[in-house]
Amino acid sequence: MRNSVFWAVLLAVGLAFIVLSRVLIANEYFYFAGYVVLEYIVLSTAWNILGGYTGYTNFGTGAFFATGAYSSVVLHKLPLLLHTHFGLTIPPVPLPLMIVVGGIVSGLVGLGTGYLTLRLRGVFFAIATLALSIVVQTLIVNWDFVGGSRGIYIIRPALAPITGGYIQYLFSLMTLLAVIAIGIARSIERSRLGLGFHAIRDDELAAEASGVPTLNLKLISTTISGALMGMAGAPLPYYVTYLDPTSSFNLAYAVNSVAMPVIGGMTSWVGPLIGAILLGTIQQLATVMISSAANLLIVGLLLIAFVTLAPNGLIGLRRQNPFLFSFQGRVSRRQIWLQFLLPLIGIVIAVNIAGALVQVFFPAIPGLVLAQLFAIATIWPQLAVCAKRLHDRGRSAWFLLVGLIPAVGGVWLFVECYCLSGNSGANAYGPAPDTGVPAALAQAA
Amino acid sequence: MIQLNLLINALVSGILLGGFYAAVSVGITISFGMLDIANISQPAFILLGCYAAYVTNLYFGLDPILTGIVMMPLFFVLGMAVYRLYFFAFERRGEQAIQGLAFFFGLLFVGEVSLVLAFGVDYRFVSAGYIGPSLHFGIIELPLRMLLPCVFSLLMVGLLQLYLTRSFIGRAILAVSQDGLALQLMAASPKKIKQIAFGISIATCSVAGSFLIIIQPVEPSIGRDYIGRIFAICVLGGMTSIPGMLVAAMLLGIVESITSTFYGPSWSPAVAFGLLLVTLAVRPAGLLGR
Repeated sequence: MRNSVFWAVLLAVGLAFIVLSRVLIANEYFYFAGYVVLEYIVLSTAWNILGGYTGYTNFGTGAFFATGAYSSVVLHKLPLLLHTHFGLTIPPVPLPLMIVVGGIVSGLVGLGTGYLTLRLRGVFFAIATLALSIVVQTLIVNWDFVGGSRGIYIIRPALAPITGGYIQYLFSLMTLLAVIAIGIARSIERSRLGLGFHAIRDDELAAEASGVPTLNLKLISTTISGALMGMAGAPLPYYVTYLDPTSSFNLAYAVNSVAMPVIGGMTSWVGPLIGAILLGTIQQLATVMISSAANLLIVGLLLIAFVTLAPNGLIGLRRQNPFLFSFQGRVSRRQIWLQFLLPLIGIVIAVNIAGALVQVFFPAIPGLVLAQLFAIATIWPQLAVCAKRLHDRGRSAWFLLVGLIPAVGGVWLFVECYCLSGNSGANAYGPAPDTGVPAALAQAA
Repeated sequence: MIQLNLLINALVSGILLGGFYAAVSVGITISFGMLDIANISQPAFILLGCYAAYVTNLYFGLDPILTGIVMMPLFFVLGMAVYRLYFFAFERRGEQAIQGLAFFFGLLFVGEVSLVLAFGVDYRFVSAGYIGPSLHFGIIELPLRMLLPCVFSLLMVGLLQLYLTRSFIGRAILAVSQDGLALQLMAASPKKIKQIAFGISIATCSVAGSFLIIIQPVEPSIGRDYIGRIFAICVLGGMTSIPGMLVAAMLLGIVESITSTFYGPSWSPAVAFGLLLVTLAVRPAGLLGR
């Protein structure tokens, strides 16, 4: 898809999403939760521009995000300050302008970080960004004008500039920001700039030797990434209405913006988007249903699980393990029992026992609920394996939809996928899979 | 005159603090400096040590420092297990950088959240006979709760340095930090040596954690403040050298103590991290680096 076309489609999707949610959903909570998920889409996409494309791990998301938020606080207090000290009267600063300013300020912080850490690679860069976030936090804690360590109350304007409540306004703005972030990420991916970033990620020394201006590219990368994070943070004061350093520099922002691209996949713009939607939604659900500490535990465990087991994220899984995740090809009846269903049952029982034990010994940790979440995670592999089984029977994977028919559909699907043998020899979906019968015997039969 | 008095006391408490920082950072000097494993979850293990000391102190009335020393073998085994996992998932595949960092970052976060779930976010402290009183030498005041950790910490760091330079395995650890391949050619397994070294680095967390909870009340998120400190000390000290680490720890302790005496404690976290940023930007090889 051409870039301009992609931008147009993306904008259309964003606008349609805003309008449709306005028309269909009246529940305020949806907008509060949706805002956070959208915010994470911006943050993880921004993180991925530096982390995924350029290969520099940034643990200082909190610093850039909070810089955006606090620049809004300054702008919010500016009219009052000018009025009392200089007698000037200016109108309150509109939120879109705050977002732009937040982006510029955070972009500058990003540029500064880039300059300061030019000589650092890999681990040292990561530690420096972690340090940066604490330094910025200490500055904010000691700056009374923006509330210091006590925090500050921000009163929202009574009316939103567009129809609907203020939270709907914030939601719409964040949707637009997500559209912008994704658009920028994809444009970078397809441009010379993106090629340069990739060259740095693969081998910085070789890139420099072949004439790639690594220094400038790194500065561009840190600036864009920082600016987008700042833009995501700028509306935060109006969202929370009470802003304090501990929550705005929360490590959860850093962990999430690392975890989402890692879980989704870091090589393309799709990865952070999928990761943010998935992880953001799970967290919102877990916050409501379990506790806010438990949702952070889930993020941490998922991050560890994915970096150890699936280093290329969800979008890399189809190539890493086609049997469990790809919808192409065929799977025999023998394979689905021995390599999928029986192991799955064993694992589910083991996970549930482990969860129950955790819950008995540490009542504060909801082990059993976490174990239930594991069952949800197996839906994709179940669909993928059954689709290939249907292929083996010479049917299209769309027959999976039959399973939606209550009772009867499920039984039919079970018989199709687990009881009947596949076509012998090749069919439209590929060569015959391993049926456990030696090839020579099968030919004789 | 009062200023001088303050300055001398700030210096002394800075040295005591520095001694404690040495205990906290010696583990990272081994794992990050020597083994090249950026274990940013080290503070989570230190906090685990804190809570181990807290639980045994609360329920059995045991001395925290004693608990810290007794628990070392357990932490050693835990460290070896973590290294096994790290090796299996990253070193074997040769992709340590981003994924390995994200792994330890996740571990740090999981450790912190688990402690919050298990113990809550309240500040916890231990009780022992030496936590209240101080020694007085003229205008100099030596609080025992700072002095004892400092003394034991110097003892531990000294013993570790002896072990690393004199024993067979200790020398093998130093060798693996210089050239793993060469070690392999000498018919020693870098993996096994690294596993032992990583176990030692986690075992020090048990003792360091017991010191921490003696010095100040502890809650699960304070570990983060220590990430900057321990890495600042490790980098300042020149990564691989334990004497360098000791000098850097003392320096940081003194600078922090003077800052908090004269400018207020809310600025002291920025000192460590600022020092780290400046060191990384200006002299990444550290004070005593090659």
